[in-house]
Amino acid sequence: MTILENISVSLQEGRAKEVKELVQQAIEASISAQTILEEGLLAGMTVIGEKFRAGDVFVPEVMIAARAMNTGMALLKPLLAGEGVEATGKVVIGTVKGDLHDIGKNLVRMMMQGKGLEVIDLGADVSAEKFIQAINDHRADILALSAMLTTTMHEMKVVIEALKAAGIRDKVKVMVGGAPITEGFRATIGADVYSVDAASASERAIALIGRDAGAAK
Amino acid sequence: MNARERLTASLSHRQPDRIPFDLGGTSVSSLHVKCIGQLRDYYGLPKEHVTAWSISSMAGIVPADLADRMGVDTAAAIARGGPFGMPRENLKLWTMPDGQQIYVPGLFNPTPDGNGGWYAHPQGDTSCPPSGHMPTKCYYFDNIEPKIDFDEDKLDPADNLEEFSVLGAADTQYLLRSVEEAWQTGRAVVLNMPGAGLGDISWVPGGGLKHPKGVRTIEEWYVSPLLRPEYIQAVFEGQTDIVLVNLKIINDACGDKIDVVYTCGTDFAHQNGLFLSPAVFRRVWAPYYRKVNDWIHANTKWKILKHSCGAVAQLLPCFIEAGFDIVNPVQTSAVGMDPATLKKEFGRDIAFWGGGVDTQHVLPLGTPEEVRKQVLERCEIFGRDGGFVFNAVHNVQNDVPAENIAAMVDAVKEFNGDL
Repeated sequence: MTILENISVSLQEGRAKEVKELVQQAIEASISAQTILEEGLLAGMTVIGEKFRAGDVFVPEVMIAARAMNTGMALLKPLLAGEGVEATGKVVIGTVKGDLHDIGKNLVRMMMQGKGLEVIDLGADVSAEKFIQAINDHRADILALSAMLTTTMHEMKVVIEALKAAGIRDKVKVMVGGAPITEGFRATIGADVYSVDAASASERAIALIGRDAGAAK
Repeated sequence: MNARERLTASLSHRQPDRIPFDLGGTSVSSLHVKCIGQLRDYYGLPKEHVTAWSISSMAGIVPADLADRMGVDTAAAIARGGPFGMPRENLKLWTMPDGQQIYVPGLFNPTPDGNGGWYAHPQGDTSCPPSGHMPTKCYYFDNIEPKIDFDEDKLDPADNLEEFSVLGAADTQYLLRSVEEAWQTGRAVVLNMPGAGLGDISWVPGGGLKHPKGVRTIEEWYVSPLLRPEYIQAVFEGQTDIVLVNLKIINDACGDKIDVVYTCGTDFAHQNGLFLSPAVFRRVWAPYYRKVNDWIHANTKWKILKHSCGAVAQLLPCFIEAGFDIVNPVQTSAVGMDPATLKKEFGRDIAFWGGGVDTQHVLPLGTPEEVRKQVLERCEIFGRDGGFVFNAVHNVQNDVPAENIAAMVDAVKEFNGDL
């Protein structure tokens, strides 16, 4: 196995310390940070995402793999900046106002980071104003909204209306997800994409950015 | 058949005279305080303040007159201790953000969050950082994860056991009184066993502790069965030892007045699949469930209820192996939770307590007729040959109109030939 394959496998098995060591070795072997990222860390997270969706691995395995990725990313970040490598795209994510549930949202964040996206996570109980501020500050491509409750999912529409009022609805794609959310609900509130789980959400995000690269900004 | 005979027959997989009906028997099969208030008005019952069962979920205690009106077959026996370390005593009135006045524990002493919401503090001690938060526009107090760190090498299982203890005199007296009151109603008595949930994420943050220690954040707890299984097993071992002592105390005092015990509400699944693998369940949880369930079956006639939300079908064989008799809430909208398939594959070995109507879509958003239709359909599927207690999927939430709840109640009566 090459060192990059080793990084991917170690990450899939959640061995954070080993991932960090291997990434360090790869850097010392003069492999570019972008290559280590794409063919090592992100390749490993893609496998985890596929296995998660297939029911072969579970929530803890994803969380542990994401931690392993973060140890490698910490080493790569300054080098990526030096190489002028930019994230595939930027996502602002959060659980809507009135809702404090964030496990699902965190999994989506991990999976999106595993696709090379820069994710600005605003946490839970986030107001429409805060979402708008973050979209403007970070020039985000995507806004990803989460809600777990039937009582809070309607807040998603409030956010979308606020985007319109702020004149930025056409500047971001809006993704929605969470326990009570359905494709029908997405259509009702005028969001762009509904995803049933974290792995699909990360893939849909990449597809959105790919299709609309440039046009989204 | 009276309510007890009806429930016992159904839980023993014999056809009862009619489908038994639960609403308020457990803290996970009740209604939001707002719904209880609205139902009282709907049925023309005298104005009365609703008592919160849980400050966290804001599930309410279903009063006897409302239970009578709806034809409920269960009565809850409730422990003294509650969320955020506040005993359910010295009740006082508190005004919910929508203006409804409800009874809450005397120690409940929330402080404003500055944005229209409220903070709850452990044991009502406002000098401690808040451990619960009800944001504005919300109807529940969710946990705030404590901002604590731990040294992996110095982790001590005792730190995650601080909130569990042998029932003291006041706790025992309170619980026995609650069993007696439930028994006096003539309905089947459901003991809501305190402290028996193994790794229930609602309790892991230690919201009732002034200075929680150990593994207390949700993500860290979820990865712990893989990263430090021995630690989790040691916590479960210690907790199980305490539960067995408490079970004996209760059984010795009033075991013959209890029909069902709800022990554990740990969720093992999300809507699309399991949180963890069946192998991890068998290794880390099952031995301790087995220990408690074996004791209950050897010493009582109680049936044991396990609650787990989500797409839990794949784990049902493990629940059965571990000695559980009943599964709740039967989240039929989750992946692999088709009612007819569940009944066919597992109906002989485990009873379904829930699944009666979808609480995410049909109950809050459907018409009364749509509710009626689904309830009748579910009763037909789950009710055959017993093994079913009617309940919605989990607590009925505050956004459900009283008309829809009444439609659910009436549909069960219609199916039972009582209308």
